Amino acid sequence: MPRETFQQELDGLLSDLLELGGEVESSLENMVKAMEARDVDVARRELGVDVRYKMRGMDIERECMILQARQAPVAKDLRLLYTVQSVTNHLVRSGTLCEHICQAVAETAERERDEDLEIALVEMARTARNVFNEGLDVFRNRDIERARDLQAKDDKVDLLYSEAMNLIANPSEGGGGAPEWRMRAALMVHYLERISDHGVDIGGSAVFLVTGQRIEDAMKQYLDRNVDGA
Amino acid sequence: MSEVSREQRETRRESGGTPAGDGATLGMQVQDLSAFYGTFKAVTDVSMDVQANKVTALIGPSGCGKSTYIRCLNRMHEVIPGARAEGKVTLGEEDIYAKSSDPVVIRRRVGMVFQKPNPFSKSIYENVAWGARINGFRGDMDELVERSLKQAALWEEVKDRLKESGYGLSGGQQQRLCIARTLAVEPEVILMDEPASALDPVSTQKIEDTMDQLKQSYTVVIVTHNMQQAARISDYTGFFYIENMGDPGRLWEFDETEKMFSNPERKETEDYVTGRFG
Repeated sequence: MPRETFQQELDGLLSDLLELGGEVESSLENMVKAMEARDVDVARRELGVDVRYKMRGMDIERECMILQARQAPVAKDLRLLYTVQSVTNHLVRSGTLCEHICQAVAETAERERDEDLEIALVEMARTARNVFNEGLDVFRNRDIERARDLQAKDDKVDLLYSEAMNLIANPSEGGGGAPEWRMRAALMVHYLERISDHGVDIGGSAVFLVTGQRIEDAMKQYLDRNVDGA
Repeated sequence: MSEVSREQRETRRESGGTPAGDGATLGMQVQDLSAFYGTFKAVTDVSMDVQANKVTALIGPSGCGKSTYIRCLNRMHEVIPGARAEGKVTLGEEDIYAKSSDPVVIRRRVGMVFQKPNPFSKSIYENVAWGARINGFRGDMDELVERSLKQAALWEEVKDRLKESGYGLSGGQQQRLCIARTLAVEPEVILMDEPASALDPVSTQKIEDTMDQLKQSYTVVIVTHNMQQAARISDYTGFFYIENMGDPGRLWEFDETEKMFSNPERKETEDYVTGRFG
């Protein structure tokens, strides 16, 4: 096949991206474990990942730029490079948020907590992790049919977000935990919601990569088709 | 690149795959065109709406009929012994293959620039003036020569040596001289068969810039093997392809350039533009 070298470079780039994705998945796994068990040691393991992921992200983006300059990619090759850059950004940002959450867990370990809020936070962390993992899996396997389901799964995160925010704003009488913990909990809720969104976007990138359409357009066409068929 | 709404795109696809354009008028309409060399059919069943004041690029592997096709658009194909074309090509209101059509008039209305610059052994001025003169131009010849050279982005480089031979110019300048010569007879459509393939990058860039200006006044159809050139300069792109060895060439896909180079409909087009074959 002509352009074998270019194809190898694209394959290498994709492999680097998925490796980074796997590492962010591991970080999120540790984040959930740290939150479930209030495990400071596990949380501290993730401190510093932000810088590492940013460096990896910069390497991938640099390679994308070099390939665009040298190979003048078009069509599916161009979509791949565009998508790799976009997904890299989502992975790096998810890694950053994960570190922020782990830092909050480590720094508030000794603080008094609101039990209901902690339950909601842990549930939200598990769900956000699942959405992220599924988004990455959709991208890895280019399984665009499943991309449509991601938004519905993200809706559960949004519900938990509202529930947690309500508990933060309206603590039970005599409860609510330490103010510092509640303040950090509000930030964690926000970060978890963002991680889930990044997962949805990563899965949606697979739709653009395969079809050249934005997932929003694909969703609209899908819904329109059902209406027409009725 | 002009914006075309999704609705327009959908309408276009439903109407048979030829771009309806973004409000542009039709420059030429080609219907079921086939081209032959003796009994050999080189191109088959090409239908294409060529939009006025747009650049249409034709790409495809060697031997797929692009040059043959473009030569059918001004009846140059039939000058080869045994060569003929079937189908309908409409320029304005006129079917250029109708019995009443005069090929000489058609070739004036549809000018052509070839791969290798081919100036006459005359002065720069006469190279430009000659075609207009034999076509009966009676106006201000100095003004026409200056205007044509300006449109071809050559005026500044030659204005002080118009009486010198066209052969004294560089390859890129000679090609722009040939473009000026074509413009001087005031055609409606300009056909270009790989006009920059023999030129250096700077000259190529000048030709490309020229084309961008030309489409303000003319309809341009260009054959190019340089896909990045097609992507840079054209509004519409047609991909010619031969499915099996020995088959005639076909127009495999025709769409806005933006679409052809970002998300073409057919696998063969994608394989070609991404360099996976050809």
